Amino acid sequence: MTSLNGNATQAEVQGSGRTESDDAWIPSTCSICYNQCGIRCHVVDGTLIKIEGNPDSPLGRGRLCARGLSGIQLLYDPNRVNYPLRRTNPEKGIGVDPGWERISWDEALETITDKLTEVRAKDPQKLHVTGTVTSLAPLGALTGIFAPAFGTANTFISDGHQCGNAEHILARTLHASVTTNPDARYCDYLLLFGCQVGMGTYYALTTMAQDIADARARGMKVVVVDPYMSAAAEKADEWVPIKPGSDGALACAILNLLINEQRDIDCGYLTHHTDAPYLVGADGHYVRDPENGKPLVWSTSAGEGRPFDLVDAEDAALEGSFEWDGQPCHPVFQLLSTKMARWTPEAAEEVTSVPAETIRRIAREFGEAARIGATITLGGEELPLRPAATLYFKGAHGHDNAWPTSMAIELINEIVGASNVPGGLLGTNPVAFGHPETQLPRWAPGVDGDGLQTTVLGETETERGTREWPRPPEGVELPNMRDLISWPITTCATPAMLNDDRFTFDNRPEVLINYGANLLMSVARPEASFEAFKDAFVISSNLYSDETAEALADIVLPDACYLERFDPVPNSLRHHHPVGLGKWGHQIRQPVVEPLFERRHFTEVMRDVGARLGILDVMQALVNVHYGLTPPHALEPREEYSWEEIGDRIYRAWFGEERGLDWFKEHGVVTWPKQVEEVYWKPFAEGRAPIYNEWLVDVGEDVQRIADEQSLPISTEGFVPLPDWWPCQAYEPQPGYDMQAIYYRVAWHTFSMTYEIPWLDEVSRGEPYSYFICINTATARDKGIEDNDLIRVEVPDGASTTGRARLTEGVHPEVIAIANNGGHWAKGMPIAEGKGVFFNQLQTMDLEHMDLVSLTIDCDARVRVSKVESEVGEPVAAAGGGS
Amino acid sequence: MRLGMVIDLKRCIGCYGCQVACKTENGTRPGTTYARLLKIESGTFPNVRRTTLPLLCMHCAEPPCVDVCPTGASQKREDGIVFVDTEVCVGCRACMMACPYGARYYQDEKHAYFGETLTPYEEARYVDHLEGVVEKCDFCRHRLEDGLEPACVANCMARARIFGDLDDPESEVSRLVRDEAGFQLNPELGTDPSVFYLAAER
Repeated sequence: MTSLNGNATQAEVQGSGRTESDDAWIPSTCSICYNQCGIRCHVVDGTLIKIEGNPDSPLGRGRLCARGLSGIQLLYDPNRVNYPLRRTNPEKGIGVDPGWERISWDEALETITDKLTEVRAKDPQKLHVTGTVTSLAPLGALTGIFAPAFGTANTFISDGHQCGNAEHILARTLHASVTTNPDARYCDYLLLFGCQVGMGTYYALTTMAQDIADARARGMKVVVVDPYMSAAAEKADEWVPIKPGSDGALACAILNLLINEQRDIDCGYLTHHTDAPYLVGADGHYVRDPENGKPLVWSTSAGEGRPFDLVDAEDAALEGSFEWDGQPCHPVFQLLSTKMARWTPEAAEEVTSVPAETIRRIAREFGEAARIGATITLGGEELPLRPAATLYFKGAHGHDNAWPTSMAIELINEIVGASNVPGGLLGTNPVAFGHPETQLPRWAPGVDGDGLQTTVLGETETERGTREWPRPPEGVELPNMRDLISWPITTCATPAMLNDDRFTFDNRPEVLINYGANLLMSVARPEASFEAFKDAFVISSNLYSDETAEALADIVLPDACYLERFDPVPNSLRHHHPVGLGKWGHQIRQPVVEPLFERRHFTEVMRDVGARLGILDVMQALVNVHYGLTPPHALEPREEYSWEEIGDRIYRAWFGEERGLDWFKEHGVVTWPKQVEEVYWKPFAEGRAPIYNEWLVDVGEDVQRIADEQSLPISTEGFVPLPDWWPCQAYEPQPGYDMQAIYYRVAWHTFSMTYEIPWLDEVSRGEPYSYFICINTATARDKGIEDNDLIRVEVPDGASTTGRARLTEGVHPEVIAIANNGGHWAKGMPIAEGKGVFFNQLQTMDLEHMDLVSLTIDCDARVRVSKVESEVGEPVAAAGGGS
Repeated sequence: MRLGMVIDLKRCIGCYGCQVACKTENGTRPGTTYARLLKIESGTFPNVRRTTLPLLCMHCAEPPCVDVCPTGASQKREDGIVFVDTEVCVGCRACMMACPYGARYYQDEKHAYFGETLTPYEEARYVDHLEGVVEKCDFCRHRLEDGLEPACVANCMARARIFGDLDDPESEVSRLVRDEAGFQLNPELGTDPSVFYLAAER
């Protein structure tokens, strides 16, 4: 008898997959969120009995979050998919029983190969691939090796409304990286916009939690701007509740005060290390030298525009109005200064609900804390000391005004020079000199002809190369982040375009391969994701028969979880590492138990599929590119290798012949100290950070031209080169819809997957807020809502979600707050089913609810809230134990 | 020697790492949380505070649970650790009534996390837990024997928990209690807890 997840009998859990090791601690790498910390696993008589942080690893330094500790229950969950499954019910749909039938691996692979062969003959771009960033290494093997070998560039990440989007663009342009983190060692003032670094969820959580706690203990002030009292706001010295989607207005006001009133301006930084003195003409472009095309700056001594590299920084004008070649022009800094002038604290108060006096005080405190002009000597180098940083995440940029908002917040650091110097905001490891013996892996920002810093963001050659593979001839080329960041973060754009009749889409998906993501729950409203892929043959390799599998999948493959598989150098070389001084650490992810039942490592499965398709040689050539393998370590494309043999070559190539696979299996991690010039790289760098996004002016013009030619209703008004604020859709009042709904994150859940882990469910049931809909007490009482009442939250188009009300003082009166991705309904995730509240139902997935620059979907919604009078027939969310 | 713990409420970020670290270390059954958190909200918007209060057995110097135990199962060691000898416990639960801190858990049924079938982890770990007895935090006695700190201390991401000998004036715990105004919960009850807290705002 086949049970829902294809398991023959639960009894097989016991005894299966056990090895004969008696008692061992095995070093490995976590993969239960996007941070991938170092772990060590205690295995006794073949059973995993404990996961701890690996004290040898700089990625966590021996401490783990609740999620990482609970991986045991993910490994042994009897609800895991254990065998390949085939859909027997031809009808697909949300809530439709797929009628899973257990099949053999051979049958599964044969079916998949037949489908892929068929579609490849037609057009390889009809294969779309997606996945989750919580398993970055296998995802990279799918998007960076299999997909290009197959011939498709149609990849997107299914972490939709969780994605950093705009933050990643600016982390690249300003910080030459993927993400940022504050320099907790020296920072004295941390201003957070909708971000919980080191206190809730954010990059390098387990390490940053230690560093931020140390910083707070020594007196670093933390100010948190957030509509909801997040974990960070709970710890902050000051909580600044704000209307959702208005963070940009607050940041513009702070910029205005810093620049135009307080004059807290680091002129030396701006003239040396940014494009602030570059002249911009009336057409919005840099004014360029007619002969060599170089951007001009105004030489104060010469009284004329000269190429940027011929003018001493001290001689370059930051402010003023000039005329060059008969045309008016202004330095970038002057444009910024002028543009911010309208953002008085009073104007910002109107928009944000933050009192003007509070805004003035925060700007003053930030400017003073930045200590412009101060220096510190580290490693024999005298460096600027700017102990103030501002940082933001989804709370601020999860709106369709993501782009101007993110710029405004970022530029607060730039104006005071607190960017990639001690005490300020640091890009996550943009410079690496490599292992002392091999000088690998190493990378550093470059410089382009305009004097701006460039970044090879793909960690490997392949990710750079991906861009050169055939691109989908979409009806219109949106400014895809693939153009900017050479990895596939298109998040919601693919489903949104597929569902939009206004666009032609020559390579609509005929096959979708999903690796580990649950796009029905993690992108936006599930009906939209379903609609986009309902006609495709869907293959899902996953841990559970989740909502996406049940609604969409034709074949489900039983994935080996991170405790059952081998991933060589599983970490992102940059952003999984903590910032600041400390150590580099490159790890191994290895099976701590052999895969249970018939679970298999997805990377190896795709190598099998590649062999059956006859593209394994191309894949192996791409492995060489992906990992930078050269002779004697490079693979011979037509030779046979095991995945472990390949991993061994990567390790030996990067870290020396004596540090091959066996060395890493035993030691887990190789470490060496970071150098001052790596961590605080900006003073040593030649390239400038672009405060003015001239590139976007070009992109906007191109997109608008294409859209106009094809009569597509695309507006590029938002493709602005400097900060600004305009309301996101949910901010705008609508009659009858008097509130905004937002989601927030808690430190013990990742996306939607962890809701199936009983220890974490136990946490949420004992915690007063995360399984409830948080609503301000006074607002609730006005609406006749009492604590624990079942309430409905409804958006104007009629979609709604329900949950239990939690009356709290810790939320803005016009806002309701919902945690993470609760409200599962899949039969294959019985622990998760019905727990918490499903926020995504409130999210509309279309281009009108998206920031077209960064492809950020609006993560808040205009809603009305009402008490559900009769609970009969209502899906009642399982609420927690309460306060 | 008097083993004790200091919990720095300023450093604590309320992440529940301690609760789960304890669960995995001790392999306890559902509903038994030797380490847990209490979230407290005070004030009125926008002047509101939330505080996380980590709770565990207070390992009182004058433990009422030991006094009321009819079988001698609840004991206090010379180093101050209060524990239950579950081989001797008859499950009368008098100690649960006596404990002012709600730190004890009666093991009434064979609860498991995934229904009736035990996972291999649960099979390996539940043998340590008898039915019909009372269980509680014992400062991870088994780890102390190996020279390790209690699991909740060793794992804490914010390093908010410090463990040591309160009788040693030179120890970190003693220094913190002395210099940072460490306080006990409900000192008026006279149980003299060995768990001290440092204020969140200081």
